[in-house]
Amino acid sequence: MVDWPGAKKKRVMTVLSVSGLTHDYGEVVALQDLALEVPNGVTGLVGANGAGKTTLLRLMLGLLHPISGSMQVLGHDPQTDPLTVRSQIGYMPEGDCLPKDQTAADFVSYAAQLAGIPAREAKRRSSETLFLVGLEEERFRFLGDFSTGMQQRVKLAQAIVHDPDLLLLDEPASGLDPEGRVQMLALIKRLAAFDVSVIVSSHVLTDIEQTCDWVVMLDAGRLLRSGPLQGFEKLGTVLVEVLERPEEVASRIRAQGLEVVVDGRRLMVGPGDDSIEPMVVAAAAETGAGLVRMVRGSASLEDLFMTKEPAP
Amino acid sequence: MTDQVIYDRGYRTYDGPRLGPGGARRAVYKDGVRRVLGLGRKARLKVFPWSLIAIALIAAAVFIGIHWAIGNIEESLREGAPTYGDLFDFYSGISLLFIALAGPQLLIPDRTKGVLSVYFSRPLTVDGYLTAKIGAFATVVGAFYLVPQVILHLGLAVIATEGFLPYLGGNLDILWKVPVTTLAFIALHGAVVFALSSVIDRTGIAAASFLGTLFAGGAIAGRVAEAAFPGARFASLLALDHHPRIIRDHLLGDTIAYAPEVAGFEVWASVLVIVGLVAVAAVFIRARYRRLA
Repeated sequence: MVDWPGAKKKRVMTVLSVSGLTHDYGEVVALQDLALEVPNGVTGLVGANGAGKTTLLRLMLGLLHPISGSMQVLGHDPQTDPLTVRSQIGYMPEGDCLPKDQTAADFVSYAAQLAGIPAREAKRRSSETLFLVGLEEERFRFLGDFSTGMQQRVKLAQAIVHDPDLLLLDEPASGLDPEGRVQMLALIKRLAAFDVSVIVSSHVLTDIEQTCDWVVMLDAGRLLRSGPLQGFEKLGTVLVEVLERPEEVASRIRAQGLEVVVDGRRLMVGPGDDSIEPMVVAAAAETGAGLVRMVRGSASLEDLFMTKEPAP
Repeated sequence: MTDQVIYDRGYRTYDGPRLGPGGARRAVYKDGVRRVLGLGRKARLKVFPWSLIAIALIAAAVFIGIHWAIGNIEESLREGAPTYGDLFDFYSGISLLFIALAGPQLLIPDRTKGVLSVYFSRPLTVDGYLTAKIGAFATVVGAFYLVPQVILHLGLAVIATEGFLPYLGGNLDILWKVPVTTLAFIALHGAVVFALSSVIDRTGIAAASFLGTLFAGGAIAGRVAEAAFPGARFASLLALDHHPRIIRDHLLGDTIAYAPEVAGFEVWASVLVIVGLVAVAAVFIRARYRRLA
C-alpha cells in the first residue's frame, strides 16, 4: 500500500498565513486586502453574515481563487497545491452535507476513505469517531432518521475521522438547542486537547468566547481584529468617578483617541489597553477634577465587535 | 476485589498509510456502484435495480432454453431463435429503465444533499470525482448488459452439438462484438443521462427526462426527416437512441432499419454522433461541476 507523499503530517506553528488577500463575487467584495496570521490552537472566526467567513474557509480549501494576495495553510499554498492542503484538513460545512439514505457508520467510513484512509481502517475509525461524538448507539441508523443535533455530530465526525491537522468548522452549533450547543462546544474544546488546530467560524460571539484562544474578527470583508482572546479581554473599559468637571476630563481623554461616555460624575472610558489608567490620572490631575475611583471591567467580544474599529 | 479502570476511547491519531487522490477516487467509485445497486441502503432502494437485473438474467436463461428445446443451435438459428443481438433488443427497454435509475442516483443526491462540500474538502478534484462516477456507471450498466450475454454465450456453448470449446472457438468474434455494442449503448445513454442529471435536482424528473429525450427524439426526428425541405434528413440523427442500435445491428446482424439508416446514413454517422455527444456532454458536465465545487 503506497502512502501518498502529500499526506505527510507535519507540525506547524502557524496554521494560516494571509497577505493582501482580496476576493469578490462580481460586484460584491467578499474579502478586501486581508492580512493575518493564525497560530496553532482553537481560533474563532467571527463576523456578521456576509462578513467573508465562509469565503475565507473556501479559499483555504482551494475551492475559490483570490483576485490578489497570497495564502499559506499549514505551510502550503491552497491555490497551487489544493490536494495536499485538503488531505490535512477536516471541514464541517455549515449547510446540510449528509446523504439521508446512508447509515452514520457507512457515511463516516466513506468520508475517511475519501481522505485516503484504507477501507478496513476507515471502518474502525468510523466506529471510534462516532463513539467520540456520542453516537455509538445510533451509528447503524440511517442519517435521514437523525435529529438536527445528531446530524451536527455526524458532520463533526466526518470532519475528524481522518485525523486532520487542521479542522475548519463552519457554524458548528447552528440549529442546536442550548444543551446541544454546550455539548458541541465541549467536543470542540476536547479536540483541541488532542493537538488538532481548529478554526471555528461563527456569528455567535459567546460560543467563540467559550471555546477559542485566538480570535479573528471580520466585517464586510475587512479585518477588524486578530489576536489572542486574552488580549481582547485586556481591552476592557475603565469606569472612572471624579469629584467635579467630568466633561473636561472626558474631552482630554477623547483627545487621546479613546471613547468616553459621561454619566453624571461617572465616565466609561475605552475599550482600550492598560494605558487608559495613566491617561485618566493625568487628565484628572491637569483639570483638577479630583479622582474618586477607577475600576477596570472586561469587554465582551460583542462590545469589541460593535465598536468596529479596524485592526491597527 | 480487582482494580477496575474505565478507559476513555477518546480521539485516536492516525499514523497509517494515506492513499491520497487515488484512494479518494476509488472510494467514490465503490460508493457509486453500491449506490446504484442499493447496497447499504434501505430495502426499498434495492427492489428496483435487482428486479431489473433478475429480468435480464431470466431473459438470457429463456433464450438458452429456446435453443435447447429446438435441440440444434444451427437449426434454431435458421428457425429464427433469438441470439446475441436479439438479447440486446429484448432488454433494451429494461436497460433504459436501469440507466434512468443509475445516472440520477449517481449525481443528484450528492448535489442536492450538499455532499459535494464533503467531497471537495478532500483530496479529490472535480475531474477525479466525475471520472469515478462515470467508472461506477460504466461498471454497473456494463455488467447489466454483459452478464446476461456471457450467460447466453456460455449456455449456448454448453448445449452446442459440436461441444463447449469448439463452439467458443467458432464464435470468437462475439468476444469483441458484444463489448463494443455495449460500449455504444453505455456511451450514448450515459452522456444523455449524466448531462440531464447534472442540471435536474429531482431523480424522478431526471429519469423521466432521460426517457422522454430518447423517445420523443426518435419520434420527432422520424417525422422531420420525412419532411420535404433541404437537409431534412439530418434531423434523423436526432433519434439518439437509434445510433447504438444501428451499431448493434451492424455488428450482430440487421433487424430493422432505423431513422438515420432510412435517411441514408451509414453506421459511421452513428459512431460520430455518439462520439460527438459524449464530447459535448463531458465538456458541459465538467463546466457545471467546476462551478459547483
